[in-house]
Amino acid sequence: MSAVTLSVHVSDVEKLFREQNRALIAFLQCRLNSLSDAQEVAQEAYLRMLTMDNREEVDSLRSYLFKVAGNLAIDRLRKRKVRSEFAVVQSQDEPVDEHSPAHHAVAVEQVAGVRRALSELPAKTAQAFVMHVIEGRDFSHVAQTMKLSERMVRYHVANALAHCRARVDETEVP
Amino acid sequence: MASKQQDQTMQVAAEWWTRLREPNAGDDVVEQWLAWTNEDERHLQAFEQVSALAEQLGSLDQVSRRRLAEAFAKPAGPQRRWLPLAAAASIAAVMLGAALYVGWMQHAPAVTAQVYQSGIAQNRNFSLPDGTKVALGADSTLSVTYGSQERAIDVRGGEAYFEVVHDSRRPFVVTIGHVTVRDIGTAFDVRRTGERVMVAVTQGRVAIADRRANAGPGDTLEATAGQRVSYDPTTSSMTVDIVSPAQATAWRSNRLEFIDEPLGVVIANLNRYTGTPLHVADANLNGLIYTGTVHTDAIDSWLDALPEVFPLQVNKQAGRVVLSDAKSAAR
Repeated sequence: MSAVTLSVHVSDVEKLFREQNRALIAFLQCRLNSLSDAQEVAQEAYLRMLTMDNREEVDSLRSYLFKVAGNLAIDRLRKRKVRSEFAVVQSQDEPVDEHSPAHHAVAVEQVAGVRRALSELPAKTAQAFVMHVIEGRDFSHVAQTMKLSERMVRYHVANALAHCRARVDETEVP
Repeated sequence: MASKQQDQTMQVAAEWWTRLREPNAGDDVVEQWLAWTNEDERHLQAFEQVSALAEQLGSLDQVSRRRLAEAFAKPAGPQRRWLPLAAAASIAAVMLGAALYVGWMQHAPAVTAQVYQSGIAQNRNFSLPDGTKVALGADSTLSVTYGSQERAIDVRGGEAYFEVVHDSRRPFVVTIGHVTVRDIGTAFDVRRTGERVMVAVTQGRVAIADRRANAGPGDTLEATAGQRVSYDPTTSSMTVDIVSPAQATAWRSNRLEFIDEPLGVVIANLNRYTGTPLHVADANLNGLIYTGTVHTDAIDSWLDALPEVFPLQVNKQAGRVVLSDAKSAAR
């Protein structure tokens, strides 16, 4: 019954999905800074798991899933870098759908909120955060510019992120 | 209020976020992170919140991004940006002076009108002879005629806030465009933009009437504290909605708050506060509806953000700023 071996494998992946999907998505969202990209990449990772032919060599399916997903994320980041060169041209063709006053108020308020939160932090903490999270520069670039170790940059970014998140909690209507 | 423990979890989540972000972080980092998420379900939840915020902030529009970078990621610091504005404001103050007293004018025999005027970017406070307090917005003009029967105020343009000393024998009547506002023991704010009138009551009650000859008795309405009446000249109609006293008088603290108002009205009112006039080149932009706050000392950065939310283009020229349709401006 050849179908049995296959179905065992499918159920393995189903189990992985049930138990690990939320963490996998969170992991990929962190890497890609995009929930929708994270969902796409996760799907692709599960597909790879289903079609893998070296099942015997893998001792932890979970580790393997995150490894595959991590590599797919790296590919996607590379492609994104290439694409961004064309982004300027593309953005001119994009339809404007931001007429709504609600959208405006939210955007302006959000920026004002971040600005307030950041102004409460030490200058270096805010700078590292803006360079990495807002401008999208990687840790090594920020470290070079600020003449700090990457570890210190990560420390500053983490502090600022936690602080901003706490401020968001305060302003949200209970 | 967030507990200390929640704050700590958030801090740890943020630290994990920065560690996990490295594309070449080793498998062991991922394993350790997974172990942390399995310890407590709140861990993964906090991590997701941190991730979501980072995504949101990482996908801000270009203008917002640039503004934040200018404010925080340049060694020169944020203070410098505000200097030109502050300088412009002080020049305006020297040139225009305080609530420019224009003079007594002969209005009618035995009754004189006094005209009060304020310069661009200048809010002024003063008291009238009966003790009524007036806050006059920037670039605003009103004339005051105190007769024996009536205390008459004519708001010719701009914005003013009144805290009226009530006197039933000598009513306090504000004429503003096509509308009269009669105090019934009150504090209220009036604003005139062309023929468009807004009355916001912060205390007590007022009677508001369409004063033109053909207006019937049905064209008078009473508004109480927390209500805002808008008179639209194109339809000659008055609509009532709500406004908080803080919103109605925010301009006194250098914040202009707009609730569902046409961009043309917003721009006209901003022009009372900026030495660099804003000009709308394409009339269709005037009808875009805006809700939001504009800080009068940061009109410049508001303009920077505007093209991201409305289909328009901001062109800063020497001495003025032109807003034009994004489509017609494409070359």
